[in-house]
Amino acid sequence: MKPWVFYGLSNRLTERFRKKDDKIKGLSPAFRNSLHIFPIDVGNDNGLNFEMEALQSSQYNIHRFGIFFTDSPRHADILLILGRCTEKMVSPLKETINQLPSPYGIVVVEGGQPFGIKPKELALSNVLAYYERHLSADEVLSVLLNIMEVK
Amino acid sequence: MRLLGVFEENEREFFLLQDEDRFFKSDNQSYKDEFFNYNLIKNRDVLIGSEPVEGEGVFNFRYGPVTAGVKEAGVFNIYTYGERILSVNIDPSYKKRDIERLMIKKSIDEGLKFAEFVCGNFAVSHALAFCRALEGCAKVDLPENVIRLRVVALELERLYNHVDVFLKLARGASQNVLTSHLSFIFEELLRINIDFGSNRFLKGVVVPDGVQVNKSANFEDLSKRLKILRDKFEELYEHALKSYNFIDRIHNTALLSKEFALEIGVTGPTLRACGVDEDLRVKEKGYERLSVALEEDGDSLARMEVRAKEFLNSLDVIVDNLNKVKSLDKLKGVDLKDLNGEGIGYNESPSGLLVYYVRLNSGILENVYISTPSVFGFKAFSEAFKGFIFTDFSFAFDSFGIHFADCAR
Amino acid sequence: MIVLYLIGALVGFLNRKLSYFLGLLASLLALYVGVKTTFFGFAGTALFHFFDNTTVGIEVDKLNGMFLAIASLSFIAVTLFSLDFGELYRKRMAIFLNLSMLGMVLILLAHDGITFLIGWEIMTIFSYLLIVEHKGAYKEAFKFLAFSELSTVLLIIGFLSLYISKSSFDLSGNTNNVVFVLFTSLAFIIKMGIVPFHTWLKDAHSKAPSNASALLSAPVTLMGVYGLFRVIDLAGYNHLWGIIAVILGSISAFWGAISAAVSKGLKILPAYSTVENNGMILAMLGFAACAHAYSTSSTLFEFAYLTAILLSLSHILAKTLLFLSIGQAKEQLGEESIDNVRGIHESVGKIPALGVVISGLSFSAFPLLLGYVAEWMMLESIFQSYQFASVFDRVITSTGGVLLSLGMGFASFSMIKLIGYSALGFSHGKKAKPMNRVFMHSAELVLMGLIVLFSFFAVRLFFGLGYSQFVIGALAVPTGWLIASAKPVFGVISPTFLAIVLAVLFIVPFVIYLKSRATTKRVISWNGGLNLKEEEYFTANAFSFIIEYILRFVYATKETKDGNRAFVSIRDVFDDVYNYFVGMVNRVTYLISKLVMNGKVYFYLSYILTMFVLIFIVFG
Repeated sequence: MKPWVFYGLSNRLTERFRKKDDKIKGLSPAFRNSLHIFPIDVGNDNGLNFEMEALQSSQYNIHRFGIFFTDSPRHADILLILGRCTEKMVSPLKETINQLPSPYGIVVVEGGQPFGIKPKELALSNVLAYYERHLSADEVLSVLLNIMEVK
Repeated sequence: MRLLGVFEENEREFFLLQDEDRFFKSDNQSYKDEFFNYNLIKNRDVLIGSEPVEGEGVFNFRYGPVTAGVKEAGVFNIYTYGERILSVNIDPSYKKRDIERLMIKKSIDEGLKFAEFVCGNFAVSHALAFCRALEGCAKVDLPENVIRLRVVALELERLYNHVDVFLKLARGASQNVLTSHLSFIFEELLRINIDFGSNRFLKGVVVPDGVQVNKSANFEDLSKRLKILRDKFEELYEHALKSYNFIDRIHNTALLSKEFALEIGVTGPTLRACGVDEDLRVKEKGYERLSVALEEDGDSLARMEVRAKEFLNSLDVIVDNLNKVKSLDKLKGVDLKDLNGEGIGYNESPSGLLVYYVRLNSGILENVYISTPSVFGFKAFSEAFKGFIFTDFSFAFDSFGIHFADCAR
Repeated sequence: MIVLYLIGALVGFLNRKLSYFLGLLASLLALYVGVKTTFFGFAGTALFHFFDNTTVGIEVDKLNGMFLAIASLSFIAVTLFSLDFGELYRKRMAIFLNLSMLGMVLILLAHDGITFLIGWEIMTIFSYLLIVEHKGAYKEAFKFLAFSELSTVLLIIGFLSLYISKSSFDLSGNTNNVVFVLFTSLAFIIKMGIVPFHTWLKDAHSKAPSNASALLSAPVTLMGVYGLFRVIDLAGYNHLWGIIAVILGSISAFWGAISAAVSKGLKILPAYSTVENNGMILAMLGFAACAHAYSTSSTLFEFAYLTAILLSLSHILAKTLLFLSIGQAKEQLGEESIDNVRGIHESVGKIPALGVVISGLSFSAFPLLLGYVAEWMMLESIFQSYQFASVFDRVITSTGGVLLSLGMGFASFSMIKLIGYSALGFSHGKKAKPMNRVFMHSAELVLMGLIVLFSFFAVRLFFGLGYSQFVIGALAVPTGWLIASAKPVFGVISPTFLAIVLAVLFIVPFVIYLKSRATTKRVISWNGGLNLKEEEYFTANAFSFIIEYILRFVYATKETKDGNRAFVSIRDVFDDVYNYFVGMVNRVTYLISKLVMNGKVYFYLSYILTMFVLIFIVFG
C-alpha cells in the first residue's frame, strides 16, 4: 500500500480558481456558503455530461466552495439542464422541476446543439442563466460561484 | 463476416456488412436469416435487450430516465424478483434525436456538424468516419501528415474515454483516492485536447480531406505532458490491481462469452476482453507502434485491463506520431463539393467499430446510415448483466464504455 | 353466561345479528366474571354428581378467571366485528361461533377432566365447522380436525391416567403423575401449534373466514396455553419439562418468525406469527420451570411466569386485531396476497390500516405498545439465566434465548413487510366492496385502545395480578410505576413514563410541526422523472428475497427460470415430512383397500365372519 497521505500532501492537484464575473440572477443569500446541484441530461451530445465529470475532478475541487452534486432533485438547489430537449424528455424534465424544493434555480446550457427543442420554449420558471453555447467545466464553475455570490 | 446495419433505400432493404477490413453494402435478402443480430439492428431505436420476464413477485425495476447513477437520459427495464437480475432491456428512445433523418438534404459541412453532435465524446470518431466516407466517395488520397494528425486526434479521444471508464469503475467501488487522481488525468487530457485542437472534445479537428489543428501547438511540449500522465497512469493502474476491494467488485462481474460476443457483433475493447484478436488499426498507417491488448476472461476486470493497456499503447502511438509529423503545412486539401455517389467510412472508435454509410447527390446528403458500437454494447450489457444483482450495475454498465448518445443517434 | 351462549346459538337459527349480539353480551359477562375473579378474589363452583364419587361441574378460581378475562377480550372483539362481517356468510356461522366460544368457556371453567373434554370437543368441532364455512377450505379444515382430535386422544389418555392415580377427574390439588403431565402437555402443545406440530395451524388459520381466524389464532391457541398453566398448577414445576419446553418453545419462536418473514399470503404471515408467539409463551413457561428448579428464593421463576401471562395477553389482543383488520381488508378487496392489497389506508380505510400498523408494531415490540412490555420482560428473563447453577441449564436457556431474540428480529422484519406492503404503501387504486363497517371499526378501535392502555398501565396490572414485588419506584419514577425484572433490581422499565417522555419529546412537537407546515410541497415519489406503472412497484416477494437467499439452506430456496417465467419457491421442511407421512398412509390404505376390497364375495363373507367372531371374543 502506498502512503497516500504523504503522496497527497506532496502532489497537490487542486488549482487556484479565479472566476469570471458575470451578471447572473441570484437565488437567495442562504446559498452563499453551499450549493447543491443536480444535472439533468435532456438530450445533449454527452459533451456536457463529460464536462460535469470534469467539474468533479481534482483540479477544481468544487467541494472547497461548498458545491456538491446530489443524487436526487429533491435535495438540489440548482437544476442544470444540459442540452436541447428531445420530445420524450419534456415530461421527465417537468417532473424533475416539480420535485425541486423551493427556492430553486435553473441554469440551462444548450451546448451549441443544432437540433432539439430549446428549453426556452418550455416556459420554465426560475431560470437564472441561459447559455446557448457549450460551457466547459471551469465556465460552469464560474456560473455556480456567481450564483452563490449574489445577494 | 459481420452484419453492421440494415437500412432502406429506394424501398429496398440493404445490408451493411464487414468482411475483415472490407466494408460493403448488399441487398442479398438471405443475410436476414444468416445473422443472429438482424433483429437487434432492426429494433435498435425501440428496445435493446432481452424479453421481459413474468412470474410471482417479478417486477420491473425501472432505472432512469433521470438518475444520478447513469448521467444520460435512457431507461433500463430491469426485471427481478428481488436482487437477482432476470432480464434487462434498454429503451434508448428518450435520447433519440433522429440525426440520420435530420442530415438528409443537408450540405457536407452541415452534415459534419451533425455527425460531431451525435456523441460528443466520440466526436473525432464520428467526424472521421463521416469524412472517410466522403473521401471514399471522392477517391482522394491524403498526405502522410494529415493521416498522422488524424491518428493523434483519434487516439487522444481514446485516452480520455478510457480514463473515464476506469474512473467510473473506481468511483463505483468507492476508491476515492484513485478516483481523484484519475479525474486529474481526465481533466488534463481535456486540456491537452484544447492545446492540440482548440476544443475540449476535439470537435472541428477532422474535416473532409484534411485536418485542422492548433497551429501554435508545441508538439514536443504535448509529448512531454503526455509522458508525465503516462507514468502517473501506470502507477495508478498498478495500485488499482492490488486493491482487493476494487478487484473483488469487478472480477467475474458481467461475464460475456466469446461466442456470444461474436454472435451479437460486439467490437472494440469488449471483444478484445473476450480474447478475440481483432483491431482494424493494426493495418492502418500511423499505427506502427501499436500492439493489440488482449484478455481472455470477458468480465468487467478484463475489459478494464484491456482499456488500461490500450491507454498506454495509444499514448505511445500519439507520441510516436507527434514526433513524425514534420510540418503543419497543407493540412487541408481540396474542398469536396458537388460529390455524387456513395461511400463507406469506418474507424476503430474508443468503444469499437464505427461505420458511416453516406450517399450524396451533387454535394447534398441523400441517405446516411450510422452503425455505432454502443448498440451492440448495450445488447452485450443486457446479456452479461443477467443473473447478477443490482449492486453490480455500475461495474457492469460502466465497464462496457457505452453511451446512449452514441446508441440513440 | 353459558345459557346466554346457548341461547345465542339457538337464536342464530332465526337471526344472525341477534345471535352475534347475544354472543357479545355473553362475552361481556365472561369478562365481568373474569375480572372479578382475577382482581377481586371471586370464586365459585357449581358441581353435579356424575357417577360413583365423580363430580362434574364448573369452577372459577384465580387462574382460569384470569384466562377467562383475557379470552373474553378477544370474544368481545370478534362478536362485535361479526355483527357486520357475518353478513358475508350464512346464518349458521353465528351458531358455530357462539358454540365454539361456549366450548372455550367450558374449558376455562372446567372443574374436572370430563367437563374439560366436553368443552374441548365442542370447541374443536365448531371451529372445524367455522373453517369449512370458507369455500374450498375442506382440506385445511380436515387437517385441523385431525390434529385437534390427536390432541383430544392425548388428553383422554392423560385424564384417564389422572383418574387412575387419583381416582378423580378433578383438576385441582396436586399430582405428579408422569403420564398425565406428558400426554396433556403434548396435547396442549399441539393445540398451540408449536413446531413441529404447526403445519395445520398456518393452513387452517389462513383459510378460515377472518373472524374465525381471529378466534382460532388467539383464543383457541390460548386454550393450549391455559392447559399448560393448569398442568403446572397441578403437577408443579418440573425441571426436565422446563428444559424441553424451552427447547421446543425457542425453536418454535425462531421457526415461526423466519417463516413469517418470507410468507407471501396475507393471512399466512399472521398465522406463522402465532406459532412464534406461542413458542415464546412456551419457552417462558419452561424458563419458569427451570428457574424454579434452580432456586425458589429467586424471583426469577415468578417473573418468567408473569412474562408468559403478559405475552399471552399481548398476543391475544394484537393477533385478534391483526386478523380482524387484515380480514376486513381481504374481504373488501377480495385478495389473498400481501402484494395485492397495497394501500389499505386509501382503499379500505384509515381504521383497519391503523389496526394493522398497531398490531404489527406491537409484535415488533414497538414502545408504547403492549408487545414492547412483554418482549422486554422476556429478554430480561433470558438475561438472568446466568444465575442458574448448572452449566447445562445455562447453555440450554441462553441458546434458547438467542433463538428467541433472533425470532424477535425476524418477527419485526415480517411485520414491517406486512405493514409496509398492506396497510401503507402506494394504493393500487383498487375499489373496496362497500360493507357496513361501524361495528368492525369499533371492534378494531377497542382492541387498539386496549393495546395502548394495557401498556400504559402495565405496572398497575401487576399489582392487580398480585405480583407487587416487581413494582418499584426509582430514577425519578414514583413508586408504583416502574417494572423491575428481579429482586434485587436487575433491570427496570416504565412504559408509562416512556409514553409520557415520548409524547413530550416527539409526538407533541411532531403535531405542532404538522399544524404549522405551510410551506410543504407535496409531490409524487421520485422515480427517475416518470410515474410508476403498476408493474414497476417493488413487490413484497422482492422485499423478502434477500432473506430467502441468505437462508437458502433453511428454506430450501429454489430459483426457477423457465423461458419468460421466473419465480422463487421456498418450502417449510416440516410440510415435507407430513406430506411424506400422508403419502405413505395413502399408499398403505390404497394397498389395504386393494387387498380387502377385491370384489370377491367369499372374501367379504369371511371378513364379516371374522369380525363377528372378534367382536364376540372382545365383548364376550
